[in-house]
Amino acid sequence: MHSELQAQLAFHLTGVWSAGRPEASDALELRPALLAAYRNLSRLRYDFPLVLARNAPHGGAVQSLSGLMDRAIEDAAPRDGEGERIRGHVLRMEQAIRALVAAGGGGSLATLWDTAAGRLESSGEDLLADSLSRARAALKADGEVLDCGKAMPARLFEHAWRTVQESKARRFREDIDRLILRLSDILAAGLALSEEGRSPERLRAEVGAAHREAFDFEAMSRLLAGSLPKGTLPESRRRRIASLVSVLESQRFFPAPGERAGGVEPYAFVFESCAAALRAFRERRPAMIALAQAVAVARLEVENEYVESKHDAFFEEFGENVLGPKGVTLFPDYLVRIGAADMQAAGHAGLMEALGAGLPLKVLAQTDDILDESPVRDGQLAFGARSRQLAAMAIALSEVYVLQSSASNLFQLRERILRGLEYPGPALFSVFSGAGGACGELAPYLVAAAAMESRAFPAFSYDPSAGEDWASRFSLENNPRADLDWPVHAIAYEDDEHQRISEELAFTLVDFVGCDRRYAKHFATIPRAMWNERMIAVPEYLVRETKGPPEKVPCLPLVGRDGTLHRAIVGEKLIREARRCREAWRSLQELAGIHNSHAERLLARERKAWEEQRTAHAAAALGPQPAAEAPAPAAAPGVPAQAEPEEERPRDEPYIETPRCTSCNECTQINDKMFVYDSNKQASIGDPDAGTYRQLVEAAESCQVSIIHPGRPRNPAEPGLDELIKRAEPFL
Amino acid sequence: MTITAPECLLRLYEEHPDLEDYQGGAPRWCAGCGDNAILAAVQRLCRDEALRPEKTAFISGIGCSSRFPHYMKTYGFHGIHGRALPVAEGVRMARPDLHVFVSTGDGDCCSIGAGHWIHAVRYNMNMTVFLHDNHVYGLTKKQASPTSPRGLRTNTTPRGAYLEALNPLTVTLGVQNASFVAQAVDWIPEILYSIVSAAFHHKGFSFVRILQRCPKFLPDLFDPWLHDPQKVLVLTHDNGLQLSPGLAKVHKNRREHDPADLDRAREIASGADPIPVGILYRNPGVPCYEDLRRSGKLRTGAFVRAGLEAELDKFTIWPQGHA
Repeated sequence: MHSELQAQLAFHLTGVWSAGRPEASDALELRPALLAAYRNLSRLRYDFPLVLARNAPHGGAVQSLSGLMDRAIEDAAPRDGEGERIRGHVLRMEQAIRALVAAGGGGSLATLWDTAAGRLESSGEDLLADSLSRARAALKADGEVLDCGKAMPARLFEHAWRTVQESKARRFREDIDRLILRLSDILAAGLALSEEGRSPERLRAEVGAAHREAFDFEAMSRLLAGSLPKGTLPESRRRRIASLVSVLESQRFFPAPGERAGGVEPYAFVFESCAAALRAFRERRPAMIALAQAVAVARLEVENEYVESKHDAFFEEFGENVLGPKGVTLFPDYLVRIGAADMQAAGHAGLMEALGAGLPLKVLAQTDDILDESPVRDGQLAFGARSRQLAAMAIALSEVYVLQSSASNLFQLRERILRGLEYPGPALFSVFSGAGGACGELAPYLVAAAAMESRAFPAFSYDPSAGEDWASRFSLENNPRADLDWPVHAIAYEDDEHQRISEELAFTLVDFVGCDRRYAKHFATIPRAMWNERMIAVPEYLVRETKGPPEKVPCLPLVGRDGTLHRAIVGEKLIREARRCREAWRSLQELAGIHNSHAERLLARERKAWEEQRTAHAAAALGPQPAAEAPAPAAAPGVPAQAEPEEERPRDEPYIETPRCTSCNECTQINDKMFVYDSNKQASIGDPDAGTYRQLVEAAESCQVSIIHPGRPRNPAEPGLDELIKRAEPFL
Repeated sequence: MTITAPECLLRLYEEHPDLEDYQGGAPRWCAGCGDNAILAAVQRLCRDEALRPEKTAFISGIGCSSRFPHYMKTYGFHGIHGRALPVAEGVRMARPDLHVFVSTGDGDCCSIGAGHWIHAVRYNMNMTVFLHDNHVYGLTKKQASPTSPRGLRTNTTPRGAYLEALNPLTVTLGVQNASFVAQAVDWIPEILYSIVSAAFHHKGFSFVRILQRCPKFLPDLFDPWLHDPQKVLVLTHDNGLQLSPGLAKVHKNRREHDPADLDRAREIASGADPIPVGILYRNPGVPCYEDLRRSGKLRTGAFVRAGLEAELDKFTIWPQGHA
């Protein structure tokens, strides 16, 4: 073996460069070739920064700056030369705002707009101010502007959580306010009808000052007291309703808008640890049960459906068991923001216990660095293991909404975030911010995006409310090329002969790790003169199966600040970790139904069976003709062709075709014992001996729908029977 | 808001009313009057739907049929001639929690109340309206009504009615926003009940014309249809009326009619012989006026008082000029 290759293999396997290290990759400011184009993000249009819109409709709570600007251009810029001018100016404004935010500027969109406009307008360009003022008028939203950074996920989630809670609070408040009003109406009506309500003093107060002298309230009170209605408000009901009003008015879960000073202090629902949230939940539980009970009783009271003999006992036992998990979801959810890296084993266990108990927690577990070394074994790599564990364990609880995503993708997942926050149960959001590693000048957005792209931190969601099965619940759809092991991108560069070369490169875990300076020792950049055909791309290396010593070495294309292409050999530890990462990704794919092994096995079996059947058919077609088909079995006996004929009624007994009775009272007015109404107020024969045959015949004659059949006379001694029998003949 | 577990438990205590719970007194209608059949069908509906009497309001105008609220043990409003619908609309706006029913006759609705009728259809407020159509003014002893057939001799048309009868179905189906139009006859109780029930379950202005007999003044008018089931065209559909096997044996003159088809509904409605019976038109997508106008504001005492003050201030003379 060539000594150079030996040296390369030795580095790959051991991480030691036997012949002296040629170049250190960090000294050249190298980054993976696929990231070479993204040096200055402020010149690009992409999802960030975000605008956390205030008072926006539900779906518009989180918007991208670019999207807002596009809509403003659409509204403010006509499709002509003037429109083109406005468009150009607004896009410059967008870039200026993006640059301000990238430089650490913050605040609302309106503030940033003003700052940026001041800078742009100082150039003195014609009509710039006009373009900007027209676009500003067309801006649909305002709110805090956030770039993709360490603080972004927490603020984004708090904003989305508040949006969801406000809508929940509005519904709850409306319900409570309506109940309070109607309960108060009952109390007021009760008072007005009571003796106290008709006392002279009360009457005097009701009339007011203007015409007080014109009335004799004593006389009025005496008059009214004589006409008190029977059903006044019982004292027990009055006390119950007054107590309900008091509970509803003093609740602290859903404050009225603007209710702070003077009123009851509302509870806080944002916490920095699970333990604090749980403690608050436990402390508030009695108040929660009392409020839920008050709402239930109040709803019965306003509908006048509360019956003391039935409901008192039930509500005395009202407790958490009756409230149930669904009842709990009517109350505000607890937002918990935790750093996944800071969480110790006990915190981990506490979190899982809280999520498993179905408590209304919405937990944001943020990870800033997924390339830290394994806490268990020194020198071992276990990228993103803790975050992966967290999400996987939460999914295993079945009833927890789980969403994992890099910060770069949160805008794309905003609908899923809102759905998770609205989910009636616990939710876990595991987010990688990209802001904590050692990626040098690489922006957190790019680090986060690279983590997702490389499958180091894939995006997925598990929504238990979406359906009964995994196909409905689990989704990988926001990952790039979710059907492949690694996403593939085109790259173009110039070779030594200045010819354009285009090729496709997969972005693997190794590319992602290549961004982080802490792992520079696992890469060795090889001078161009030493490049050879045994150096192969990492994805190609990953799929190779070698039994003996490796004959090829994996290498990663990197690009320096000056734009030159480099190649670095990758250490075996990283390759091993990339394989592990690929296996984890494949497990997720299986859960999402991509290359599902069960389905593929089933498909193969069915295909085999189908092919065998087809072969058998083909063979049969070539052989002798089969015998004529057996005759069809005779129709099953016992099934009548037609419905059974109606039961023949004895013509001697009187009867009525009750379902056709129109309740017209003709027959019942003739004899209401002989003809009676049933529970549907339709006539039937009650007691045939309660009247005469004459009455039966007259009823039959007067019935307009002719449904009374008088039968034969029951009393042979009744006078005039011959004539009656003749008259009854058409109705028999 | 819903609290699931308590509600489930509370359902255990639901009461099951009887027909008597809705019977408000012995009707004074003549024996044989079709109003009795309508009353029985409506009382059955209230019982089967377990409507709470204090949550149900029957509104009427003037006429034989408008005595309806007296015979229901619920809230009722025996109104003024032709004005049943405006009263019902007011009830609906002020108390959206009530089930509102309207009983109106052919004179009450189609003559003096015709203007209100047209606009009530257009407003499409959620209520169930029964047009008791016996083709005659009965309470005032036999005068011609707008639906009296041409040639009918009455006290006001002794030589026979001069004009063709007005067709309440085609009129209603011609008004914008019509959302439920059906026709029943009082002498087929099963169909009457089914249509009354479908009308109740429709959210919007459910207009049911019920042809009914007047045994006192027009005793033979409907005889040909009463005695020959072939003269009744029953409109059936999976989304409309469905007949029991027993009734299907009697009424063989049937036609499949999709209640979503407005053009066909208008065509069928214009026929008088055979009498079409069934759900002619149903469109659940028409918005209800009360929903469009719901402010979402609670009508608290202070809110109502402020509104009244503002209205009254418009007419107040301010000695020192407006404050």
